[in-house]
Amino acid sequence: MSEVVDSTSVAIRVTHLAKAYREGEQRRVVFDDLSAEFYRSQTTAVVGRSGTGKSTLLNLMSGIDLPDRGEVEIDDVSLTRLSEKERTLFRRRAIGFVFQFFNLIPTLTVAENLRLPLELLGVGAIEIASRVDRLLRQVGLTARAESFPDRLAGGEQQRVAVARALIHEPVVVLADEPTGNLDAETGREVLELLIEMTRRSRASLVVVTHSEEVLRYADRVLALNEGRLVVRPE
Amino acid sequence: MTRAVLRAGRARRWVGLSVLALSSLRFSARHPVQLGLSVVGIALGVAVVIAIDISSESARRAFDLSTEAVLGRTTHQVVGGSSGVDETLYPRLRRALEGVPVAPIVEGPIAVASQPGRTLNMLGIDPFSDAPFRPHLTAERVSGGASLARLVTLPGAALLASQTARELEVSPGDVLAVRVGGRPAELEVVGVMSSADTLSGNALADLVVVDIATAQEVLGQYARISRLDLIVPEGEKEAETVRRVESMLPPAVRLVTARARTAAASEMTRAFRLNLVMLSLLALVVGTFLIYNTMTFSVIQRRALIGNLRALGVTRSQVFELILSEAVLLGLIGGLLGLGLGVGLSSELVKLVSRTINDLYFTLNVRDVAVPGWVITKGLLLGVGAAAIAAAVPALEATRVAPRVASTRSMIESRMLELAPRAALAGAALIAIAVAGLAVPSRALWIGFAALFGIVLGFSLCVPWATVTLVRGVRPIAAALGGSLGPLSVQGLSASLSRTAVAIAALTVALAATVGVGLMVDSFRRSVADWLTVTLQADIYISAPSSAGRRLDPSLVAGIEAVPGIAALSMGRTDTVESPDGPVEVVSIRMAPQSYRGFRVLQGDPVTAWPAFDDEDAVLVTEPFSFRYSTRPGDRVRLYTDRGAVDFTVAGVVRDYGSEQGSVIISRDTFERFWDDRGHSTLGVYLEPDADAPTMLTALRGVAGGIQDVFIRSNTAIREASLEVFDRTFTITLVLRMLATGVAFVGVLSALMALALERARELAVLRALGLTQAQVWAVVSTQTGLMGLIAGVLSIPLGLAMALVLIVVINRRSFGWSIDVHFDPAIAGTALLLALGASMLAGLYPTLKMTRTAPALALREE
Repeated sequence: MSEVVDSTSVAIRVTHLAKAYREGEQRRVVFDDLSAEFYRSQTTAVVGRSGTGKSTLLNLMSGIDLPDRGEVEIDDVSLTRLSEKERTLFRRRAIGFVFQFFNLIPTLTVAENLRLPLELLGVGAIEIASRVDRLLRQVGLTARAESFPDRLAGGEQQRVAVARALIHEPVVVLADEPTGNLDAETGREVLELLIEMTRRSRASLVVVTHSEEVLRYADRVLALNEGRLVVRPE
Repeated sequence: MTRAVLRAGRARRWVGLSVLALSSLRFSARHPVQLGLSVVGIALGVAVVIAIDISSESARRAFDLSTEAVLGRTTHQVVGGSSGVDETLYPRLRRALEGVPVAPIVEGPIAVASQPGRTLNMLGIDPFSDAPFRPHLTAERVSGGASLARLVTLPGAALLASQTARELEVSPGDVLAVRVGGRPAELEVVGVMSSADTLSGNALADLVVVDIATAQEVLGQYARISRLDLIVPEGEKEAETVRRVESMLPPAVRLVTARARTAAASEMTRAFRLNLVMLSLLALVVGTFLIYNTMTFSVIQRRALIGNLRALGVTRSQVFELILSEAVLLGLIGGLLGLGLGVGLSSELVKLVSRTINDLYFTLNVRDVAVPGWVITKGLLLGVGAAAIAAAVPALEATRVAPRVASTRSMIESRMLELAPRAALAGAALIAIAVAGLAVPSRALWIGFAALFGIVLGFSLCVPWATVTLVRGVRPIAAALGGSLGPLSVQGLSASLSRTAVAIAALTVALAATVGVGLMVDSFRRSVADWLTVTLQADIYISAPSSAGRRLDPSLVAGIEAVPGIAALSMGRTDTVESPDGPVEVVSIRMAPQSYRGFRVLQGDPVTAWPAFDDEDAVLVTEPFSFRYSTRPGDRVRLYTDRGAVDFTVAGVVRDYGSEQGSVIISRDTFERFWDDRGHSTLGVYLEPDADAPTMLTALRGVAGGIQDVFIRSNTAIREASLEVFDRTFTITLVLRMLATGVAFVGVLSALMALALERARELAVLRALGLTQAQVWAVVSTQTGLMGLIAGVLSIPLGLAMALVLIVVINRRSFGWSIDVHFDPAIAGTALLLALGASMLAGLYPTLKMTRTAPALALREE
């Protein structure tokens, strides 16, 4: 991002979100009127018990799912008003993902996994090579550039996922339990890397987690409970 | 900002696809067996279609060439049925038609004495009037110092094409021994014709050019000519010339256009060729199911991966293009392989096709396998098109994959279970529409085939529901037999319905195709066998070789009649007679009292039909004739007799599998009232009750010896020979069925193997939990075996339905024959065994793979 942004400017705004799922004959309301803001260059942790709708919130924030009511805005773009294709193109450009189970493309090498988001955006070959090299260096995996994901350890796979989430310089990075599948030591390393790289790129990082360790690194902690997000005091 | 971000996101999507394509290619490369089987499936499908095309095309080309060789520039022909035209017509027409070229032709097949089975076409021409018609004959370079004039001056002189002369090992000056209608004859080769190019060389092949007088003598057509060729100038004079010619023709003689004559001959084989094409398409349909199956599996296996890509910003259209491109690539590779395989296969199939044409229609020697460019294009398009069509549904399915990370497999399966009854209802509706389509009174073959494919598709839609229902039924048995592992294996089928149903449906269709064609051929054969038993009432039959136009020597007939031990004789002859619809086959019979039992009257009242046939100049028509010309009892059939055009009343329709073109059966007394020829071509000998058949055969052969070479055979021998011809004509169908079965077998292996491999993780968990290799094998085999069994069981009703459509609709609309449906359990049993065998084999590979892989590795790989 070449423009200078205010570190406290709003990156994501969700307003009056409502979402319910049908489970057999019953309708389960996940949240009915949820509003929140997430800021640039900040790490926001979202906590809550299982089933409170943390992952649903991430899905709605990324535009891979639509709310029944309410609005999601990222960088002043209302995702809920975009067509499915426009949301996909927006996601391609403005959002980075880090998942609990890494979700790297198993048939692509580490370097190719990093190239994919840039190629989708139409970035030039020289620029791609340069960014891939830089990101690989940053995550310390230059030596594994040509390896396939299934040959890497869990921590290494998650570092590749972090690099992939940031390589196209998104506005927002959404992380769903990024340390949930790693041991404590590796989890801490990956988390530090994720936060440091996100800050450096001035993106807004939203982490959904159960981990107390993660909370220590967060600038702000929001608790999701009974369909409402409230700031948890430090 | 919004627009800028969207624009940036849209940029260079094709470049983005290159890494996607790489990912997709690597996915395929990681499943080489699955990939290989799909390619083999499509290659086999394309190969069968291509081979049939090439064979039919080669036969058509050979027909065109031989027609061109004998027709030349002829525009019209004066024809007179199998007895031909009185030769005095030629000088009269020639005098009357000043400026219109007229040439007489005497033509007929002759057998090479030294090479049994080799037939040549004798073409008797008048070298002085023939030049405008067949310049390629008269202007050919003739070696051996002969000129065409020598044909006229030297009785028995003949010219052969240089290629034919080489094959027969004769040179100018040699004598060529031939047999015509069982009688020997000799021709002197006075020269060989060499042609400037291969095309005209092929046109001349198997042609023996002689003077018209020689042809009349050798073929026994004294004072008769086969036809008169004319070149009627186009334009104003044409109609006038035609009128003048027609005014001069005697009653049984007609003027026809050469094109109509050729088209009629070509039309004879149309249904045969169409059926071959349809059967070959059946193999392709099975191949298409195979691709559909592979692509569906490939999408299902990659659901999570596709969800991932969608989350990263890959659009729906990109996913669709990706899956479709894979299929197209697969189709292209399979198509190319299929082309190679098809060309190879065609060299064998062309022999079968030409043999069938020779057995059923007309003499044809197919010398070259022609591979036209359109066949290559068609093969590639079929491969790619079939792959694209087959992949369209899975590709659309892939675009519906939500960009969610945690792909909820259980949701997919529960949705599939919910959908199964609705899909079955839709399938039932489709089958009902297809059956209703069959009830539409029409002769259109395409409706029959569309309905056939509708039934297949409708049945496929019922497979998921049928699978769930059958699994529910089998579960208690599995629990009783296999403890806790039993239900685990069985329940896996309905728990993974999104995968298993596709595989079972593909397998069911493939097996049903083999059952359907198998039942059709078997029913047809039994009907023919029954018909032969009923028809061949006489104990011994005596016939002249090449029955049409060939006659038994009158002294032979007289000799036979005098042999003691004969209770009665039936006498028959077959002629080609002109009618307003072109030439038709007329069989005239002097019935013995026992002969009547040999006819099964299908339409009309036998009580009134026979007296009308015997005493009132009424005729019987065979079933194909009735179908072809929409003729029913009470209708009239117009034939051009020696007394002019006569309308004969149809007394009944009888069953007959002897001629696909159909024939008119007329009593000998009626025949003699309207035609002058008195010869016989067949005798049916009914023996006295105490006469010994083998002794009588010897006695009859003794009478024939020295008079004429004739076939003297017992009814059993004729029955066997006829069924041999039947089997020979259906060899090509059986070959196609075997090929379709081969494709099906590959399909079974592919589908089940993909499924079993897909469950590697589940098996690894079972291994990790402590299951032995044998127990894992038992679980896999039970699952794949049960899938095979379900597919085998379901293929029987579908196969039966396909057989019914083939017999009652397709065959009837193609050939007009009614066939008694016969269900042979052995054919259904074979399908079941095939399904079980293939499924057990399919389970073997993943089990072997599992036993060689540590469970931990399998778990990690997933």
